[in-house]
Amino acid sequence: MASNTTTADTASTGSASTEPILRVNDVTKTYGEGHTAVTAVANASLAVKEGEFVSLLGPSGSGKTTLISMIGGLLTSTSGTIELGDVDVSTLSKKDLTAFRAQRVGFVFQASNLVPFLTAKENLVYVATLRKDYDRKQASKRADELLGELGLSERIGNLPEQLSGGERQRVAIGRALMNDPDLVLVDEPTASLDTELGRQVVQLLAREVKDRGKTGIMVTHDLRMVEYTDQVFEILDGKLSAEGTGKEKAKSH
Amino acid sequence: MMLAWAEIRRSSGRFLSIIGALSLITFLVLTLSALSDGLFFGSTGAVKAPSAQAYVFSEDAEGSFIRSQIPAADVEKYRQLDGIDRAGPVGVLLTSGKASSGELDVAVFGVDPESASAPQTVTKGRLPTPAENGVAAIDDSAKGVEIGSTVTVGDVPVEIVGLTSGSSYQLQPTLWTTVDTWTAMQESVRPETRGLPAYVSAIALDLSAGTTVESLRSIAGTVVLTEDQAALAIPGVEQQRSTLNSIIYTTLLVAALVVALFFALIVLEKRDLFAALKALGTSTGRLGRSVIIQAIFASVIGVILGAIASRLLGLVIPSEVPTLYLTNSLIQISVFTIVASVLGAVFSLRRIAKIDPATALGGNL
Repeated sequence: MASNTTTADTASTGSASTEPILRVNDVTKTYGEGHTAVTAVANASLAVKEGEFVSLLGPSGSGKTTLISMIGGLLTSTSGTIELGDVDVSTLSKKDLTAFRAQRVGFVFQASNLVPFLTAKENLVYVATLRKDYDRKQASKRADELLGELGLSERIGNLPEQLSGGERQRVAIGRALMNDPDLVLVDEPTASLDTELGRQVVQLLAREVKDRGKTGIMVTHDLRMVEYTDQVFEILDGKLSAEGTGKEKAKSH
Repeated sequence: MMLAWAEIRRSSGRFLSIIGALSLITFLVLTLSALSDGLFFGSTGAVKAPSAQAYVFSEDAEGSFIRSQIPAADVEKYRQLDGIDRAGPVGVLLTSGKASSGELDVAVFGVDPESASAPQTVTKGRLPTPAENGVAAIDDSAKGVEIGSTVTVGDVPVEIVGLTSGSSYQLQPTLWTTVDTWTAMQESVRPETRGLPAYVSAIALDLSAGTTVESLRSIAGTVVLTEDQAALAIPGVEQQRSTLNSIIYTTLLVAALVVALFFALIVLEKRDLFAALKALGTSTGRLGRSVIIQAIFASVIGVILGAIASRLLGLVIPSEVPTLYLTNSLIQISVFTIVASVLGAVFSLRRIAKIDPATALGGNL
């Protein structure tokens, strides 16, 4: 059986680091058992280096959400291994997964999903309180800095309902970066934004991931957004394939 | 904690509704309890006011002062028993009397003013002395009767020389007099009792330290009941109490259901947010704690407001309605309401635990 292995050597865009920090090896996710079993992701493998921002393309039901959920420690795989740095995610208990997500993974959700009754700054500070080594002063300082860099200095005391869609998504990006995670997972960040705003948000994400030496994966169905990513993966009926660099993929379309 | 407080502060509207509901429930329960206590003490005060810890009734009387008849000589027999410090006669007559202010329902209690049957709650004036006939003390719930007034029962007039408090019987003011005066009134109101051998309705007993009712030997033809048993044996008392108590407990159950429903709705409404927070690394325990903190907050504020409202109602309620606000009942009901609310909120924990963080990704697209 042909596996869709894509290593950093074949798809790298020449990032400074050579060793991939995220390694997904032959991961399969099957729901159900026996002849009613459904395979959502089949033998997927990919590797991403520090400072790389990759996109995961695929239509609805293709398995892209399942794959990113397993990488982010939200779902356990049926087989295969997922390694982030020195941690094998597939061996973690439910409780350890919760701590893993809080400290090692940043999430940007489709509809920002900010806490509606916390201000922009409090939304950032909140995720810091999930850390074991939470320090109030440090968290407050970091939240101010992050929001400043994201151009939201004037909005730190505003509730989400007082922010525009683009501002909300920028706060969500700040929240994802707050705990200095190794991995940033982005789920359809442009779903609730118009094209121009969506483009700005994705550009910002790409810049933040690169500048901070994170590893970023963006799930999208929007081909216009892939040009800002280093590698493109496509998933169809649970089968993952490498589609080259973002620029190539965007041009080919 | 950050989540719980921020939500209370910034979406105070929805918490005002649950606080309002809980304060209304507390108000209702506390007012019912004040009525229940008022009725209870208004009915049983005459049993509680004397020093007696036990009462003797005739065997067939089922603890009723009205039905019970005991030979007067039995008082002396009880006085001689081991374990009895004092024994005093009690003669009871439920009737009406005439005062200058008009007709008056009274419960006449003929007692030995220097024994276990005398009320301890004289607030003004004095009790009659043992051999002093033609005078009485009256419970201060009697309207328009003061020290110096005359109350006439049948054709026996007595001058009021003292006031007692909290000593009414079946919600009627009691007239405390000597056994002789009581006998004279009894024979005047109910001529058929004339010429009977000397008797009393019951005997009040002061027990010596270490003596219990159970350990006491009773004289043939009589039974000894504790003060509480005697109080509950007063017609209607137990029924009133159990009826009002079942209303109170049902209402507390409603409080638990209201809170359970409220938090079930809140959790349902915040399902997506909770999924996202879990995905970000928030534990179920932490989300659950924030819901419990909110339930405690809402119920404590609700209970305080309800207690204040109920107490204010107590101030304006007419004195014909017997109410009694006891600190014990207040504490008990407040604690029950808060516990019921928290138990209600606990039901939503299962829902929170079931929320799958994986649903935070994917959404509707």
